[in-house]
Parts: sequence; C-alpha cells; structure tokens
Amino acid sequence: MKYSGAAPLALLWALPLLLALAMLLPAALDGEAWRMALAHPQLRPALALSLSSGIVSTLLALALCVLLLAGLYRSRAWHRLQALAAAGLAVPHLAFAIGFGFLVMPSGLIARLLVGGDVPPQWASVQDPWGAALTLALALKELPFLLTAGVAVLSRGDEALRLRQECRAAASLGHAPGSTFLRVVLPPLLAALRWPLVIVFVYGATVVDMALVLGPAQPPTLAVVIWHALNHAEAAVNAAGLAMTLLLTAALALVLAVAALLGGRTRRAMHRLLTAGPSPLQAPRGLAAVTGLAALAVLGLVLLVIVLLSLAPRWPYPVLLPPAFDLTAWMRVAPAPLWLSLLLSAAAATAAVAMAVLWFETQAPRRDRWVIGLALVALALPQLATAGGQYRLFLPWGLTGTLAGLFLAHLTPVAAYVLIVLAGPYRAFDGRYVAAARALAATRLSAWRRVKLPLLKAPLLSAAAIGFAVSIAQFVPAQLITAGRFSTLPMEAVTLASGGNRPLTAAFALALSLPPMVAFLAATLLGRPRWR
Amino acid sequence: MPLTLTRRGFAGLAALTPFFMGRAQADGSWAEIEAQAKGQTVYFNAWAGSPQVNAYLAWAAEEVKARFGITLEHVKLADTAEAVRRVRDEVKAGKAGSADLIWINGQNFHVMKEEQLLFGPFTEELPNFALVDVDDKPTTLVDFAEGTEGLESPWGMAQLTFFADGAKLDTPPMSMMELLDLARDEPGRITYPAPPDFHGTTFVKQALVETIEDRALLPMAIDKAAFTAATAPLFDYLDTLHPYLWREGKQFPQAQAQVTQMLADGEVLMGLTFNPNEPANLVDGGTLPATTIAWQNRGGSIGNTHFVAIPVNAQSKAAAQVVANFLLSPEAQARKADLKVWGDPTVLDLDKLNPAQRGLFSRAKQPGSVQKPARTIPEPHGSWVPLIEAAWLEHYGA
Repeated sequence: MKYSGAAPLALLWALPLLLALAMLLPAALDGEAWRMALAHPQLRPALALSLSSGIVSTLLALALCVLLLAGLYRSRAWHRLQALAAAGLAVPHLAFAIGFGFLVMPSGLIARLLVGGDVPPQWASVQDPWGAALTLALALKELPFLLTAGVAVLSRGDEALRLRQECRAAASLGHAPGSTFLRVVLPPLLAALRWPLVIVFVYGATVVDMALVLGPAQPPTLAVVIWHALNHAEAAVNAAGLAMTLLLTAALALVLAVAALLGGRTRRAMHRLLTAGPSPLQAPRGLAAVTGLAALAVLGLVLLVIVLLSLAPRWPYPVLLPPAFDLTAWMRVAPAPLWLSLLLSAAAATAAVAMAVLWFETQAPRRDRWVIGLALVALALPQLATAGGQYRLFLPWGLTGTLAGLFLAHLTPVAAYVLIVLAGPYRAFDGRYVAAARALAATRLSAWRRVKLPLLKAPLLSAAAIGFAVSIAQFVPAQLITAGRFSTLPMEAVTLASGGNRPLTAAFALALSLPPMVAFLAATLLGRPRWR
Repeated sequence: MPLTLTRRGFAGLAALTPFFMGRAQADGSWAEIEAQAKGQTVYFNAWAGSPQVNAYLAWAAEEVKARFGITLEHVKLADTAEAVRRVRDEVKAGKAGSADLIWINGQNFHVMKEEQLLFGPFTEELPNFALVDVDDKPTTLVDFAEGTEGLESPWGMAQLTFFADGAKLDTPPMSMMELLDLARDEPGRITYPAPPDFHGTTFVKQALVETIEDRALLPMAIDKAAFTAATAPLFDYLDTLHPYLWREGKQFPQAQAQVTQMLADGEVLMGLTFNPNEPANLVDGGTLPATTIAWQNRGGSIGNTHFVAIPVNAQSKAAAQVVANFLLSPEAQARKADLKVWGDPTVLDLDKLNPAQRGLFSRAKQPGSVQKPARTIPEPHGSWVPLIEAAWLEHYGA
C-alpha cells in the first residue's frame, strides 16, 4: 500500500519531471554558456528587478489578503469574498495585465478621465523603470489566489469548527474580534498560506507575459531576458538562457531560505505578542470593506475594459468609449478548439488531485518536503526550459505528437500546483475524526469516504479548480509536445496574440477565462459545508 | 541522420522511407513529384500572429487539396525559432520530422543552413520558380547577404515602411535626419522597438545605412574593431535622437505591434512595418483611421524576402515541394498581394506573366498605401546583426 500509493505520482509526474530536469544539466556545466550569461549587460539590474517585483508584490498581496480576511471573518460578506476571489482567480494573468495596462497607461482610461486634451500625458505609468506597474498588477492579480487559499483553510470542516470554539473562548476571555483574529485565526492561517505565498513569490519573480505588457524593457526583468534567450534559434544562446535560468532559480532559493530564517527568528517575539492578555483591538471592518470594494472595482473595471477592447478595433485617445464596435475578434474565437482543452484539463486536474490524495494518505508527512520541493522547482523554472527538457525526453519514446504525451505535459504543472495547494489543508486535518470513525468499526476506505472526504471537500474542490485553471492556460508545453499534431485553446490564442492585435488578444483572454471561472464558482458552491 | 532501425524497429523503418523517396526525386520529373505528393500531408509551420495570413493559408489548404490531393495543415507558431529548435532536436534524436515546410528567413535560415537541417537544393526544380523576379528583386536569392543556394523558395517581399495618421502628421519625415527634426519638434512622440526585436534592429540598420561614411562596407563581413569605427556616426546619431524619443529614449517598446498599438491609441506619431501594405490592411480592418499615410525613406529603405524551406527530415518532401510551387503560382501570389486578403508583395516578375495572369494583380491604391515606393536597400551582411544588437544593448540596454 505504502509504495503503490506513491507510485502514480512518482511514475507519471516526478519521474518525467526529474528526467526533464536532468536534460538541462549539461547547460550547468557549459562554461561558454556561463561566460555568455554573466557577460550580458542587463544581467544584474534585471535580476534585481525580478527579485524586487517578486518580493514586493508578494508582501503587498499578503497584506491586502490578511486585511480582507481579518475585516470580513465571520461577517455576512464572507461568502461574497469567496465569489470575488473565484472571479479574480479565473481571469488569466495576461488578460489582467492588458486590462490593468489600459486603465493606467498614458493613453488609458484614467488619463482620459482626469487629463483629457488631444495628446496623452507623458506619464511613466506602465513600463516604468522600477517595475512598479508590474508589481502592483501582480499583487492585485495574486490577491484572489491568496484569498482562495485562505478561505479554503478557514472554511475547512474541521478547522472551521475548531476555530469557532476557540474564538468563542477568546471572546469570553475579553478579546475583541480584532484581537481574536490576530491571536487565534492568524497563526494557523499564515502557516497554511506558507506554500501559496511561495508560489506567489516564485510566480511574480519569473512571470513573462505580464512583464512584457507592464514591465520595463531597459532593462527588463531577468525572466524576460531568459525568455528571449531560450526563444532564440541558436543553440549557444539557448544554453546561455539555461545558465541564467539556473542563476535566477538559485537567487529565488536564497530569498526563500532567508525568509524561512527570518520567520524562525521572529517566532519568539510573535509568541509573546500572541499570548498577551485581552485586548480591545477591533476587526478592521471599515478598512477591509473599502479595500475589498476597491479591489472589486479594479477587477470589475479591468473586466469591462477587456470586454470593450475585444469589441473595439480602434479606441483612440481621448474618447471614453470606442468609436465603433464589431465582432471580428470574437468570430476568430468561435471555431477555436475548445473541447480538447476542456477534456484534457478535466482529466489532468482529476488525475492530479487523485494522485496527491493517494500520496498524502499513504506517505508520512515528512516526505512531503521532497514532492513539494520538486513542485516548486517545476514552477520556478521557465517552461521553455522544463517543457523543452520534457520534449527532448519524450521524443525518442515516440510520445511527442500523441495525446498521452500531451496529457503528461499538462500534468506536470497541474500536479505541482495541486500538491502545493492541497498539502497545507490536507496535512492539518484533525486525525481524531478518522480515528473515531475507525473506532466505530468503519473500514479505512469508508472512514475516508464518509468522514474525511466530506470534511475536506472545500480544499479538494478548490485544488481541482486551480488545477483545471492551470491546465487550460498551458501554452508552452502543449505547443512543444504536440509538434503541430493537436491544437488547444491557448495554442490558438497565444500564436494569434504574437501578432499583437489587441482585440483578438482580449477576446481570446476572455474565452480562456470562462472555463476556469465556471470551475471556481462550482468549487465554491459545492464546497460549502452542508450544515450552513 | 543516425539510423533508427535498431531502436525503434518498424516505426523507424516507416520514418525512413520518405527520406529515401526524397533522394530519388531529384532525378524524377516534376510530374513524378506531383504523383508522389498525392495523398501526402504537409505540416506547414508558420507564424500565426496575423488572422489575414491564417485565412490565406486556409484558402491555400483548400486549393492544394482540390488540385493535388494534398492535405495542408497549418501548424501555428508564435515564433519561428521554435520550429528550428524542434527540427534540430528531432534530427539529433534520429526521428522522422514533424514539420514539412517552414516559413522562414534571416537568422533562422542561417542557423538551419549552417547546421545542415534543410532539404535541397530544390527551388530550381519548381516550375513556377522561373517566374520569380531574381534580377530586380535580388533578395529572392540572397537572404540577409547569405545565398539561398536553392534551400528556400521565395514567398513574399518586405521593405521597411513608416506610417502615421495624416491628420496629425502632414509632412512625414522622409529620411533619418528629418526624423530627428520631427522628434525635436514633437519630443516624446516618436519611438521604435528595442532590438533584438526584428523591426527595432531594422530601424537601427536603416539609420546605419543613412549615416555610415562608406556604404561599400555593408555587404561585407565585418569584425568588432572595424564595426566600432564604422558605426561611430550611427551611435552619434542615436545619442542625439534618443533624448527626444518617447520616455526620453530610456524605455523602448518591446515589439513592433506595441508601437502600432501606441499609434492607434494616439500615444506616438509614427509606426513602422516590414510589410509595405500593412498600413492599408490595418485601415481596412479598422485599427487605423482612413487618414493614414505610409511612406518609405527617400533614399531607399531596407528590404528583404521571406521564404519557405523544407526540413531535412520532413516526411512529405514531395508534397512540400508541390505546395512551395503552388505558393509561387501567379494565382496564389496575386491573392496574397491583394490588400483585402493579406497585402504581401509578390516575388514574381509581372513582365514574365501572360496578360491574364498579370490581370490578377490589382494596382489600385487604397487609403494607407505607400504613395511613392522607394528603392530597396539590401540587408547588411549577416555579421553586422549580432554586433548591432550587442552594441545597442551596451549603449542603451540598462
């Protein structure tokens, strides 16, 4: 049982991934590649920019997330928060970047409203040298992800019950709601958000598509420099790109190690704060409401702008509405290959959740660090590198250009996300419920099915929805592995978007966001505890 | 090509068969190639960032199906280098190819030619190749100063062209010096994409051509020292120009399409393109207003040709040649040149066509058409490109 439980994850996910990573090793030993990489004039400023946008956007998203959760915890708006998070999560990063860019850029909506005139102002509101627009957009885009993860923890059957009891106890000891949240809810919340935060940081420091739209170009972030190098036709430049990839990965690992160290150091100070006597600290209801509404307004405006952009061939400064609308862009979306994408993504998400659950049920928790470490590496490395390695791995096996290869290529990032998102809630499950069921003579399977599964419904469904959303957005692995034999929705979308036609890009981005939106809303509705 | 028989048995054998057929057909007549092509599938790896191009290829697929019994599949790429890497990996692994035809030019062609990843020479055997205007369009035989040697078949012409809204810019700058004057008058309203974006590099090359003291150096290979000396006026020019550009030349757009979008939004005054008919096409599609004007620099502008090539490990080499030949036919070239379809200029010599074929090409001007076409200046030798890119990055990259 022990080995067979780990087998699917090991064989279908870890092994292909490790072998793909091994294909990258020669680059690590290629002296010429390192010389070329280190001589790149943009290397140092680009690395600094990648790290700063990753770190600052993560901290900002965390601050907003904690503020919203603290203000709305156990309030009537709690479930609306879930719906908001689901909607925000479903909007693809690229779509959000385009919409956000059109709000803030010099010829954008805000400038049209505030400045006007015939000629747009010369603001540095996108593509600013500090990456501020990119950082802000990343923080806003990652907020729904952190909220979803946080809500999933706090709404989980067993945890919600325990927290409710502890909050009652804290209240009876004289703690005001704000103090209760800080001392009872926040510590387990932060612990559970650890891995999602790591994902947010790694994503922010390695993102390419958003950086191309909103980030600076002289120098760009290191991820963009790497992307150009890996995209190059010459093998020597590709190798230099791989060397820079290893450098960026090492820098990310260093930042995470320092963060872990700092986290350990502050624990004692935190302990003193958390065990202090009753305090009249109120929940930041007003501030949370304002922040929530502002985030909602930005999200709503971004969505509205994308819809308008998809319908407007032209929208010149300074008019507030496009002079003409047409459906040309949407006509191109209509015949796109939707079914293959839906089936593939449903299969990949289901398989990933099943494999993760099998792993958690049969393996000791201390082994998690290996799979989660591997998952993080998979997410941190640029897909051109990992999927490129996987392509070269699959090629001699005849897996390229096949559905099986396509499925495995999707499973790699999907399982990585699902493992990281699920590890926290699954491992924190209070084992006494299962023990009680077993004591009442339930078999292991029926105890899992009738007690644990219903209690873990919310995080499982939300992990599946995240897996589905991740899968349906995959471009690089799909494009490489299919070698032109199949076509998926993002392949159609990204290749068309390479021409830079804004209405088309907007229409496809919206089309790409609909299936995950349905998945997230379904996960939210189905995941609600039955007793509410 | 390493033998794959032992490892992959039957699959390897099946994959090798078309390879030998490819060898045999050099002796065969064109009719035999057409006979072999019947029933084959051609995976045409082509950049798919333009709905017009995609629609044109869909039309071509219908035509070759009806005429030759060939199935043409457009494998949509975001970047042609992807196909280059794929063919390289396949050849290294000794696998049959997934690509039969690639839309290619410039550096991607150089790399594939140098690494012997291309099938051929085959272009001389194509019946329609005789119609190509190799005399007046020398770039149909020379791709970025590198001889094509029959390894790629010309498909369309490109020439650096600028465009703007004539309502906002009534006298367009017809040289790099006039562009500097315009930038001085309208600071912050002119820009170009950062090299190594293809169009950005071409803009810098155009400035190089217009500033260099000895143009005779351009078609020749060059080393770092000679390059530094020869480009001193170029970087003087760029140093003077940049403070008047968008964001004072400290930031640049990352791609040509971004500049076009900024023009459409009203943020900058001018866009640039390699397809002289793109502005007219954008007017037709509603992206740019009907007052759009397009021009080429008075003394001529950088131009080149784009091609189709067949990878050495292609599985349908016969059908790929038939498709390449079809793409050169007067009918296919005329349709491609039609502004309503794609607007890609033809590689053919219209004087070599009969009157009926010539009639297929319409020469009517449309809003956004280039008013006074200028002569084409060939690309500098390929050795200039990496040096330009590196020097630009060093001067302005960080």
